Amino acid sequence: MSVRYTPVSWTPFKWWFDAALLAGVALYLWVFTWLARGGLDEATVAIRARGTLAFILLTLALAIGPLARLDRRFLPLLYNRRHLGVITALVAASHAMAVLDWHFAYSPTPPWLAVLVSEPGVTQWPGTPFIPFGIMALLILAVLAATSHDFWLAFLGPPLWKAIHMSLYLAYALVVAHVAFGQLQAATQPGLAVLVALGAGGLIFLHLAAALRGEAWTAIAAPEAPWLIVGHARDIADGRAVVMRPAGAEAVAVFRNGQALSAISHLCAHQNGPLGEGRVLDGCVTCPWHGFQYRLEDGRAPPPFTEKVATYRLRLMGDQVWLDPRPNPPGTYVEPLRA
Amino acid sequence: MNDEFFIGWQKRPPPRLGRFLAMVAGGLVLGMAALGLALGSADEPGGPDFAAIGAGAALPDTAEMSGVVTLLPYPVLHRADGRPVLLGGDGKRGAGIPPGLDGQVATARGYVQQRGSIGMLVLDAPPVAERPGTPPPVQALGRWRITGEICDGKCAAGSMVAGTGLAHRACATLCLSGELPAILVSAAPVFGQSFMLLAGPDGGPLPETLRPLIGLRVSMEGALEWRGNLLVFRADPAAARTP
Repeated sequence: MSVRYTPVSWTPFKWWFDAALLAGVALYLWVFTWLARGGLDEATVAIRARGTLAFILLTLALAIGPLARLDRRFLPLLYNRRHLGVITALVAASHAMAVLDWHFAYSPTPPWLAVLVSEPGVTQWPGTPFIPFGIMALLILAVLAATSHDFWLAFLGPPLWKAIHMSLYLAYALVVAHVAFGQLQAATQPGLAVLVALGAGGLIFLHLAAALRGEAWTAIAAPEAPWLIVGHARDIADGRAVVMRPAGAEAVAVFRNGQALSAISHLCAHQNGPLGEGRVLDGCVTCPWHGFQYRLEDGRAPPPFTEKVATYRLRLMGDQVWLDPRPNPPGTYVEPLRA
Repeated sequence: MNDEFFIGWQKRPPPRLGRFLAMVAGGLVLGMAALGLALGSADEPGGPDFAAIGAGAALPDTAEMSGVVTLLPYPVLHRADGRPVLLGGDGKRGAGIPPGLDGQVATARGYVQQRGSIGMLVLDAPPVAERPGTPPPVQALGRWRITGEICDGKCAAGSMVAGTGLAHRACATLCLSGELPAILVSAAPVFGQSFMLLAGPDGGPLPETLRPLIGLRVSMEGALEWRGNLLVFRADPAAARTP
């Protein structure tokens, strides 16, 4: 968390993350280009090396989210995913520039104009234009990379920022179309087809597996409306939460901090991260994605931070905890339940 | 159960998580190297058939050569030793030869692009006419249906490797728009040749209507003929289709 905008809040872990990432990128390009050249000209090798690398990095960026849900040990990678996204956009841009400097250069037609006039119509089959798919994907990646900063998150607001960044999935689909309608149509070796199939198939599998791994408790209506039965108080581990998903309402995280039980929104105000999968540290709920913290009793980030989330009322009936699924305005104080 | 919890802005992860993340980092670096090796070595070399089929004697890299110039459908220098050499200009530009050179014995200078049977002389300057010549004899071979790919003779001759395929379509389109020679790279050898110069039904350059088929696998019909040792295919645009 930060109250001021800094280009990058460097930590030793972040340095290591970026070092490993850049080492992987450099090694891939070096091996592809110099150890494994297959008789193509240098520019074409560079185009293919950078293009396949961008696809691999994009696949990794999209895999981190479901991986972190399936295995919490991947959460630190999620925290640093922005760097991966920016590097992916740069690699994709270098792929595009290499294409521009080779396939579209040396012509009486200016390169940028040539990009627009050298492909047939979109209705053509076979031979559907594949370059526009790549251009659209690159434009999306450029926008996402340019807005990968907390300034834009604060300026646009979390819902809009999140919606914009969900277009990464659209970019991935466009990249798959770019490859499928382009190089794969002429490929005589299976390498690229296997890469695309494993990458896209693996992503679908991971997202399905993460979606099916529901951690939310089923909301059971209490005898008295609108209350819902959360469960036995003793079943909520100290420092952890159970997540309820009331029908037609936002998910709610019911946390235990020692003897105190409190309910707040499951969605972090930063990037809608899963607060209910976080922990109570120093008396505050800590989001597992980016470490944003909220006080349990009022859903407010501790000063000087200003984020706040909705709170909910709890009731103890015998040993059972009941939840009122109607959210209080973000930041509303609710006396913790002692149980 | 592992109860370690790491917040991204903390300086270092806890020990067990740190070891796990170190393994992930190592796996990432090694995995990227392995992927680079697998994908790089699996990448197809460009146009192996060019080198395997119909290759003539090697042309010198930089050359001054003479022969009879013909301009249709595209400029060709028919050398005295019988080897035809396509003529082109710098970049994605045609040779720009004056019409008066058609049928003349001329001397041309430039550098050679060559891959197997395809050779192109990229001109430094317009050829210099020496005297009237005799164009190579034309031998009609009848009507043929040939499957192959329309591309430009310069990239196919080695300016770009692979120089063919759908990924090369935009480049080939620009080359042909720049008036470089159009060729058909046949899927199977025809009279021992892997390519033929592509003409319209009237014997002129590639018709504009065939432009959408550049870079695709196409089936074309038309009149095939030898012009000296060069195959020329006068394709009928109405009969061209993707198989």
